Parts: sequence; structure tokens; C-alpha cells
Amino acid sequence: MPPRTSLMPVDQDWGSVWPGPRTFHPASVPLPLRQGYKEKDAPPGKFGNAELMKIPNFLHLTPPVITRQCEALKSFCSAWPQGLETDAKCEESFPLEIITSDYCHSSPDIRDPLARIVTLKVKLGRLPLNTHAKDKLLRLVGERYNPENDVLTIMTDRCPLRQQNLDYALYLLTTLFYESWKIEAWESEKSEADMEYYDWDASASRKNVMGLLSWKPDQNAAEMSADAMDLDIKEFKEAVSKIMNEGEEEYTLSRYKEEVKKLFSLQDISSKV
Amino acid sequence: MVYRLCKILTLDSIFRGVSSVSHHQRALSVVAGASEILPVGEKQIRRFRTVESNPVKHDHNHAYKFYTIPLETKKQLFQHGGLPTFFEQQTQTFMETCIMIRDPALEILHYLKTADYTRPAIRYVMYGENGCGKSLTLAHILHYGLASGFLLIHVPWVPNWMRACKEVSNSATREGCVDLNLDAAAWLVHFKSQNAAILNTIDLRMSKEYVWSKREVTKEGAPLMELVELGISRVKYASECVIALIKEIKAHSTQGRCKTLVAINGFNAFFHPKTRVMTEAKVKVPPSKITLTEAFVEITKYDWCNGAVVLTVDKSGIAPDRRESCLPVYQLGKEGFEHLDPFVPICVRDYNDKELESCLDYYIDRRWLQNEKSCTEEGRNELKFLCGMNPYRLMHICAPL
Repeated sequence: MPPRTSLMPVDQDWGSVWPGPRTFHPASVPLPLRQGYKEKDAPPGKFGNAELMKIPNFLHLTPPVITRQCEALKSFCSAWPQGLETDAKCEESFPLEIITSDYCHSSPDIRDPLARIVTLKVKLGRLPLNTHAKDKLLRLVGERYNPENDVLTIMTDRCPLRQQNLDYALYLLTTLFYESWKIEAWESEKSEADMEYYDWDASASRKNVMGLLSWKPDQNAAEMSADAMDLDIKEFKEAVSKIMNEGEEEYTLSRYKEEVKKLFSLQDISSKV
Repeated sequence: MVYRLCKILTLDSIFRGVSSVSHHQRALSVVAGASEILPVGEKQIRRFRTVESNPVKHDHNHAYKFYTIPLETKKQLFQHGGLPTFFEQQTQTFMETCIMIRDPALEILHYLKTADYTRPAIRYVMYGENGCGKSLTLAHILHYGLASGFLLIHVPWVPNWMRACKEVSNSATREGCVDLNLDAAAWLVHFKSQNAAILNTIDLRMSKEYVWSKREVTKEGAPLMELVELGISRVKYASECVIALIKEIKAHSTQGRCKTLVAINGFNAFFHPKTRVMTEAKVKVPPSKITLTEAFVEITKYDWCNGAVVLTVDKSGIAPDRRESCLPVYQLGKEGFEHLDPFVPICVRDYNDKELESCLDYYIDRRWLQNEKSCTEEGRNELKFLCGMNPYRLMHICAPL
């Protein structure tokens, strides 16, 4: 007998053919699937393919089926709150986001140990932090901060119950915040190697430039350069900071070169072939 | 004429077979004589050569052309190093030393000509990928220095000292430091051969007395060459001699008695903490504890005038852990950058189209490319593609052809 797929119309209701989760059945799925690896041949077809049967499939959750189920569930739902139409408004009213997962088993034990995991997300822009506090917080937190969207993520799973993990996560957030505002005695020993950004004003580069600009052949003690030269130095400062902060590449290096040429009043090579 | 010959050769190959063609080629090469340029009575203008062998007069009109370094100058400048090994072999094969005049060299020469020498010495740092021509550009600038009457302080290749030093001994004068005596003496010999001529004309004297031991004293007012001779003969004091010499030259330059060109190849090796220099106790020594480093770090500071400093940073000159990028700030490291800042970074790039054409013309002229197909348009495109515009790779690809 030919497989059922050859008799299926193209516009059938797939949700009726595959109503619930089921292991893959090749004769019922009208797709020319190939899955698996053979050294010399093409990936094997769907008939008699143990691989396709082993992996989970979501053929019971195609988009039209999902829409239908959501329509059916709507009668049991309450209305979405009025002032929270956009994502931005949600974030403004609810800056703290707590993510948990629920699992249900049909085995003798309905519990799942993964249900205890609690993830807490908050945007650092919503917390009142000055520069020192923010720097200290970032150092304490390390990889848990995403600079691209300014989100701090704390994931806890060390306690056996979800409520305990949630309390722990909130406790961590509170502690981080208050600790980052405290200034310890040993923080004054911060050296240039610990600095998180490149401060040109305190760097050797500035000393070099000042020394160079004020150097005279009879070797007087270096005086501070006059304000008239400040303009060049500001741009030079920017060029060096750019190399240090943004990384060295053709563009930053060529800007640096231009600034140095200006410092030494070197003319461009006037005409090229 | 070269191209017409090659066309004849291909016709020959069709009618007479390959063996007679190669005989024809060998005969031609004997006739042409590898030691001379092809006879001057040629109507075709040689696009890739220029007769101007004085770098002082090189400008953009001579761009992408090869100029010849006269044999005596080459001996004077590069007898003890300065040209890369493969290039040196090539010059012996071609019986002439020809360097291409390229943009980075022209740029630095322009700056050297127009810079204000009453202001502190400007430092130029050349950087680029492996095989792009940094060492040869430095050689070109060195020739310019010689031709314009600069006093030359040239270190051919710093990693030679850091990786393959000949002799290590504990320094007598500096606590915890290490001397590379034979290398220092060899450098003094190199300095002498480069600068003997100019030191004969400019009379430079020592500004103070140096006491080496009870019997050996270099008095104030003695000529500089005496110090050099002492360093060469008394190898024990060679490193200290180098330091003293450098300080004296710095003082003389600042006072205007001479102008100095410092050319150092592989400068980043002075700032990289890993070397292969080991004491007798098999302890690795960082460059900061080697006396020779101090001399050349001293001369690359900005607190002297009437001179210029041209350096190269090469990623092949240091340990493999710092070879990710060829850019100068990364190669010099924090210390090196702080020492040299502000410097003018100059990028030495791969060949562009004109330069590659010029180079291939030169190889064909020198009979280096023997395969007939290399003269055709298709052959040249193939070579262009294979070498990826990198001069070093081109040289090696053309070698078996």
C-alpha cells in the first residue's frame, strides 16, 4: 500500500492529522526529510530512520495550531493591564524581572529539580550608582553584566527550594548595591594597572609630551607648556585615549599619526604618484 | 626587447622543441652577462629602473623603481648585517644590490628632509606584516643617511642579540645585569665600518674621562674612534664602551657638531620580557637586565636634538606569544609605548599593482624568471594571485621558476 502521505491534500488541516506529541511516523509526515550521517552516501531518508524517531519533534505545535489553542485559552485569561501596552512601559513600571520555570511529570514523582532555578534581571541604569559605585559593582559582578543592554543577571540554584533561591537572589542584589557604595581603606591603593579606563591626564604619555614640547637643548627644568598649545594636546589626548580604549587598528593609528605629525609640525608628503 | 625575446622563445618552443629553447636561453644569459644591465641603446624605457643612486635625490618621480646601491657603499653599510639573508643571496646571484623605492621610504625621507632639527629627535616606527619590506626600507633610509652626512647608529637585527647571543657574562659594573660582550664588540666593528669615513671629517672628542681599569683610561679630549677601538680590542668592556659611545654621540648631536640617524630593526625585542639569553645558572634574563638594551633605549629618548630615530617593530622577532598583531602599540607593549610615545607610525604594506609589475619586470630582466609563461599576461596574473601581493612570498615563488 502506498504511504498515507501520497493521499494527503495540500490544504489539509495539519492540527487534525497530528493533534498531540508523538514519535515521528514517516508515512504520516508529508515532508521529504533526510537526517543522519553516512560517510559516503547522502543523509538517509525518513523511512526506517531511527535518528528521526529518537529526537523530539514539534509537529503538534505548528503556528496555526498554536493560534487556535491560544484563541481557546483566551476565555480563561484576564485582560492585559491597561497602562502596559509597550515593552518600554513594562520596564519602567517593573524594573526587576524574575524568571522561573515550572515542570510537570507524569511519572510517580511530579517534581523536577530544575524548578528551583531563579534568574533575576535588572537594568543598572535604574539603580542609583555614582562612578565609583558602578565600577565596584561591575568588578564584583564580573561576567554577569551585559554591557550591550545594561542588564545585570543573577542566577541562583544553590538552595533546594525556589522560594529560598528567590530570597537569596534578592539578598545578593541588596548586598551588591550597598557594598558598592562603601569605600574601603585599601581602595586608595589603586594603581595605574588597576584602572578600568585609560586616563591620559595621569599617564606617562602626557609626561612625555609635556617634556618634549618644553625641552630645550640647554636642558632647563621642564616647565608646563603654555595654554596656546592646549589645542593640539587635546586632540592628541583624544587620539591616544582612543587607541587605548577602543583598541589599536588602522583608523585609530592613522589618527594618532596625524596628531603626532601636527605636534612635530611635519608636513605631508606633497604629491604622490 | 626583453618581451620580444620571450615571444621568440615561445615560437621556438613550438617549432623546435623545449630542449633547444633552454639552450637558447642559456646562451642568451651568457651573452647578456648577469653582471651588467642590458645595453643602453634600447628604445624601450625601462619602467622599473632608475639611474639615480643617490637617495637624497629620490622623490615621487622615482616611485616604484629599482635603484642600485654601489658596491663600495654596500660594503661600507652592510658588511656586518643589515640586509635580510635571502635578499643578500639574491644580490649575489644578480651581482647587484637593487632596492625598490617605495612609498613608506619616500614618506620617511620627506620627513627627514623637512623636519625641524632644533626640536627633539623625532621617532618613526615602521610596522607591517612579515615580508612586506621593513628591513629593506630601513636599508634605503640608511643609505640616505650615509649620503646626507648623518652619523649612523644602526642595529641590524635586535633579536639576534636576544635569541642567539654568542656569549653571556655577568656585568662587572652593574649589579645583576648581564653583558653580551662578543655581540657588543661585533656591533662596534659594524659601527666603525659604517662611520669611519665621516668620523675622519668631523672631529668628535670625548667629553669626559672614562676609567676602565688601573691601566686603561680613555682621556677627555681623545677622539671617539679610540673608544671604539678599545671596545673592539678589549671585549670585556665592549658593552660599557657602547653605552659611553652612545651618550657621547647624543651630547655631540645636541651641541650641533654632527647629525645622527639611529636605525634599529626589531626594536620591540628590547621590550618583550622573554628572551633566550640565559646566565650560567640557566636563568632567563629579560632585556631590562642586559646592558646593551640600556644603550639603545637611551638613544631613542626624545631628550636630544639634531637627529632622527627610525625603528621597526617586527612580530617575527619575539616569542610566539605576542604575534597576534603587527601593529606598533601592541608589539611594543606598555613599557615600549610609554618610552616611545609620541612617535610617528608608518605602515609598510604589501605591493600594490604598480610595484608588483615593477618587481616582475626586474626579475625578468635579471633572467630570474626562466619559464616562458612567466612573461605572459596570464603568467603574471597567476604570480600576482599566488603571492597575494606579499614581496617575500613573491621572491620565494619566483625562485624555482
